[in-house]
Amino acid sequence: MIRLQNIEKVYRTDTIQTLALNSINLDIEKGEFLSIMGPSGCGKSTLLNIMGLLDAPSKGSITIDSQDTASYSDKQLARFRNKKLGFIFQSYHLINDLQVLDNVELPLLYRDTTAKERRALATEALEKVGLSNRIKHFPTQLSGGQRQRVAIARAIVGKPEIILADEPTGNLDSAMGNEIMDILLQLNRTDGTTIVMVTHDQYMAQKTHRLVRLFDGSQVQ
Amino acid sequence: MFKHLFKLIWNKKKQNFLLITEILVSFMVIFAVFTLIVNYYQNYRQPMGLDYERVWVINYQNRVEIKDRDSLKTYYDNLLRKISSMPYVQEASFASSNVPFSANTHMNGVDYKKIHVNSVNYYEAGDTYHKVLNMQVTEGRWFSRVDDAGKVKPIVINNSLRKELFGTGKAIGEQTGGKDSKRVVVGVVEDVKAKGDYQKAGTAMYERVDTSASGGRGRILLKVAPSADAAFESRVYKVMANDPMNSGIEIEHLADKRVSINKTTLVPMIILLIIAGFLVVNVALGLFGVLWYNISKRKGEIGLRRAVGASGASVSGQLVAESMILATLALIVGAFFAVQFPILNVFDLRASVYIIAILLSVMFIYLLVLVCALYPGRQAAAIYPAVALHEE
Ligand SMILES: Nc1ncnc2c1ncn2[C@@H]1O[C@H](COP(=O)(O)OP(=O)(O)OP(=O)(O)O)[C@@H](O)[C@H]1O
Ligand SMILES: [Mg+2]
Repeated sequence: MIRLQNIEKVYRTDTIQTLALNSINLDIEKGEFLSIMGPSGCGKSTLLNIMGLLDAPSKGSITIDSQDTASYSDKQLARFRNKKLGFIFQSYHLINDLQVLDNVELPLLYRDTTAKERRALATEALEKVGLSNRIKHFPTQLSGGQRQRVAIARAIVGKPEIILADEPTGNLDSAMGNEIMDILLQLNRTDGTTIVMVTHDQYMAQKTHRLVRLFDGSQVQ
Repeated sequence: MFKHLFKLIWNKKKQNFLLITEILVSFMVIFAVFTLIVNYYQNYRQPMGLDYERVWVINYQNRVEIKDRDSLKTYYDNLLRKISSMPYVQEASFASSNVPFSANTHMNGVDYKKIHVNSVNYYEAGDTYHKVLNMQVTEGRWFSRVDDAGKVKPIVINNSLRKELFGTGKAIGEQTGGKDSKRVVVGVVEDVKAKGDYQKAGTAMYERVDTSASGGRGRILLKVAPSADAAFESRVYKVMANDPMNSGIEIEHLADKRVSINKTTLVPMIILLIIAGFLVVNVALGLFGVLWYNISKRKGEIGLRRAVGASGASVSGQLVAESMILATLALIVGAFFAVQFPILNVFDLRASVYIIAILLSVMFIYLLVLVCALYPGRQAAAIYPAVALHEE
């Protein structure tokens, strides 16, 4: 489903060049649950961003659904992300000026949907993550775990084929982390959603189908 | 999407309040400026109502000590005849000191039945005054010797005063004024913009100069032939000066007086325009800064929107649309204040001046906000989503 070939990513600032990713080759099957591990700064988030077409690699190609994404225009990329991908970020990235429900509806705003449909889908997604009693809250009025669950609801509301999750349980205690992990496993099992998850937690990684280890931008396992 | 943006703005009302206030204040300033410009422009479009080319104004002081009215009349009629009979002089007339384009203003109230009109410009004019200035008589006639025999003093009024006093009814032959100041309307003339191109004519009435009484003849107006030159001007000067009773003689050209009175209108306006210009630049920079700041503060949000499916164009469109909504909110409040001016008739201006000024100001503010929002919006669209997310 996702094929990365010879991916290299170099960050250039005025004085230094950082090789964040170095010749990464990765094939992810449809319906697979893959986890990525590695020490801080080894390029996990960078890899996820490149998979999610949020950033362009310096070298190499990304094929999703056997389509080369290099030639996509900005508009096509946006449509693609909207339809196929769901993101869960390391730091939630909720819009603090919008209520929970509006935050969850966000991906649907960039699709042809009516307000009614959006509301129904967002409510459903919030039910899945067990937050249907918090829809009128603002993100600042929620706990970290609740925020992460809002972010998950937002990622799944559009029923994407692929979910890219960057340390979804990183900021949570183990009980809450397990709960989140269960939601992801459930999605993978029942909906067949392909999931790529970055984690620091060996125990979480063991629950997934496959583990990829990065070290200093290179794949070591 | 619109509702979404509205929610976003509403939830940030505290931050947006300042921006709305700023737009509101600039709207009011722009509205004032446009009101002035539109007013001047509309006045400018009105006909002048007189010919100022080749019209000279003789200013003079006179120490006549004749007490007898008949002798006084003879003296002044002779003076005017002397001037009139000079070569190059086509017409000559006495006039009160408030000749066209002078800074002098004489005003009076006029009554007709139950109608009272205030601040009517009041001119004293000779029998050929209208010919010197080529004023258009639209009804009745100008003064003439016929009026010597009349029991009630004749007046000529301008169209504006005619409308206020008589509407569409009959004007000629109607009597105005109270018991002691009865006048009969003998003629109606086109409005004359006596204070220059940019000031409206207002209401005006003309009374016949009485050369047997004092006053009302402090100026002599001359219409001269095209070939009249400076040498002739000095001859006129000499004729006036040779009369032992005249002094302080000065000859002006009406065309020059027009230029200088126009300046007295335009100079304050230009100063105001410059001040307003600075203000607008200030507001534009402020707006630009606030929008820029908003965008850099909202990088995370922008990155997120890109991640969930917004294209660069839709992100910049959103930021521009938000600014336009803010502008609209400010303009609704501003327009509410602005329409009070025509409704309450605060200054004596036509309602159309305010309406046009409101429309122009609204367009101006929209344009200003659009220009200020466009560039930061573009910048926002250009950031890579990953970079935007990273910077949060
Ligand atoms: N925008 C950027 N500009 C310059 N260097 C960057 C940028 N983003 C990441 N890097 C560098 O690339 C490397 C990989 O960063 P990345 O965020 O992918 O690490 P990570 O594995 O996700 O770490 P963590 O576990 O702490 O989240 C780091 O050395 C980082 O300094
Ligand atoms: Mg990371």
